[in-house]
Amino acid sequence: MEDMIFYDRLQFAFTITFHYIFPQLTMGLSLMIVYFKWKYLRNKIEKYNDSAKFFMKIFAINFTMGVVTGIPMEFQFGTNWAKFSELTGGIIGQTLAMEGMFSFFLESSFLALFIFGEKLMGQKLHLLTGFLVFLGSWASGWFILATNAWMQHPVGYEILENGKFVLENFSALFSNPWLLPAFLHNQLASVVTSSFVVASIGAFYILRNKQIEHGKLFLKTGVIFGLISSILVAFPTGDWNAKNVAKHQPAAFAAMEGIFETEEAGAEIVLIGQPNMVEKKLDNKIAVPNILSFLTYQDWDKQINGMDKFEKEELPDNVPALYYSYHIMVGLGTVFMGIMALAAFLLWRKKLYNIKPLLWTIMFLVPFPYIANLTGWYTAELGRQPYLVYGLLRTSDGISPTVSSGNTLFTLLGFVALYMLLGLLFLVLVGKTINEGPKSKLH
Amino acid sequence: MTGTLISLISILIGIIAANVFGNFKKKYSFGFTGNTVIGVFGSILLIKTFGRLGFNPWSIMNNGDFDGFRLAINLVVSAIGGVLGLIIAKKVYQKFNKS
Repeated sequence: MEDMIFYDRLQFAFTITFHYIFPQLTMGLSLMIVYFKWKYLRNKIEKYNDSAKFFMKIFAINFTMGVVTGIPMEFQFGTNWAKFSELTGGIIGQTLAMEGMFSFFLESSFLALFIFGEKLMGQKLHLLTGFLVFLGSWASGWFILATNAWMQHPVGYEILENGKFVLENFSALFSNPWLLPAFLHNQLASVVTSSFVVASIGAFYILRNKQIEHGKLFLKTGVIFGLISSILVAFPTGDWNAKNVAKHQPAAFAAMEGIFETEEAGAEIVLIGQPNMVEKKLDNKIAVPNILSFLTYQDWDKQINGMDKFEKEELPDNVPALYYSYHIMVGLGTVFMGIMALAAFLLWRKKLYNIKPLLWTIMFLVPFPYIANLTGWYTAELGRQPYLVYGLLRTSDGISPTVSSGNTLFTLLGFVALYMLLGLLFLVLVGKTINEGPKSKLH
Repeated sequence: MTGTLISLISILIGIIAANVFGNFKKKYSFGFTGNTVIGVFGSILLIKTFGRLGFNPWSIMNNGDFDGFRLAINLVVSAIGGVLGLIIAKKVYQKFNKS
């Protein structure tokens, strides 16, 4: 049984990690595409239109990969998590179906129109199609986050005698206090990713002395979007999320902050430290006293419950993974703010395009927003453990009892092989598009 | 669960078919990137629409008994999806960009 849970979780973690590489870019990029197109309509400078069309090609490749890698997710609910789907389908089925019916179709239809229809529709309608692609991709995020918010903080439900969850209040799904902060935090984090992608392509062009005008535009736009989004992702949205975790999932909050023992007179914030699960303490810790209490409750001396206040069954089952995921996310977020603030300052001083070490840094930083986004999701998902639906349905009660661990392992290996192939294809396609550049013959 | 893997293999066949067709019939080609994107959607569209006739991944696995014949039909339909996708996309593109 333990084996079955482990492999089911491992397979889902692998497939969703790979899947989330793609939508995290498309959501943020769609906003930047709308910006480029809107700028073009205002100033009629061709490079803005080139940029919108160029990034829509990158968007299309990512969107396609997102569709392909999203298919196993849909199947896995039935294959690996049949009991979970059977019990909660009456609720999560609503939001997941809305995601498919409203967002996916909106996004894919208008994506095709944006790519093919500029000449037919004219510039204003072309902007509108770009906006509808953006709307579709953000609505998609909204419905997925609504599903996840219900799992993190279940509301508006009733449990029948047979254990099935049914929806009692439809609007409660969307007014869930967990949803809005999680949505804003997630969307802004995806804007951070897209900003770094746009800026790094710009840095690449400048360093290669190729497509310089577009390179400068990409770098400038990426840096401005990156600075704004990396600040907003920390405050207020990240702060709001953390307060939600402290309020609704206090055991998860203690674990992700690395608080083993409750301190009566205010909790410290841990900057660095390694969880020692045997001795129940953090090794080699560097911490600042009372800051966590202040950040969470605006009270320096407010007590925050440590893991010692909770039963073992209530604590997340992998405290080190949760602790490291959270700290990697926060650490990287801080680095992003620093880099983007420096780049924005140099942009203002008109020196950014000539400082090669910074251009190299921006170019090579591109994988890190992806890592930060993924570790953010790991924090949310590991923090919810040992539950699938927080406080109501344990993960061990949601798996498919008839699917063996050997079967799951076999398909996991298959996914690894196929995803390596897809990943390679993705890199070739994106590399080719970047190499052609925004002023390719296709434009 | 092998059904899930089959659905991914099916999409890969759609991608390959669209690229091979585009390579031979240049007038329908959108380049490697375009053919690949269209191959994915063409393949998914046809398999999702007609797979219920008995060759979707679940029917192929049929309670754990692998059915090679149904798999062959699935892959052929997926390839046709990729090719059809390319032809339809080109027609739409030409209509949209008529001067």
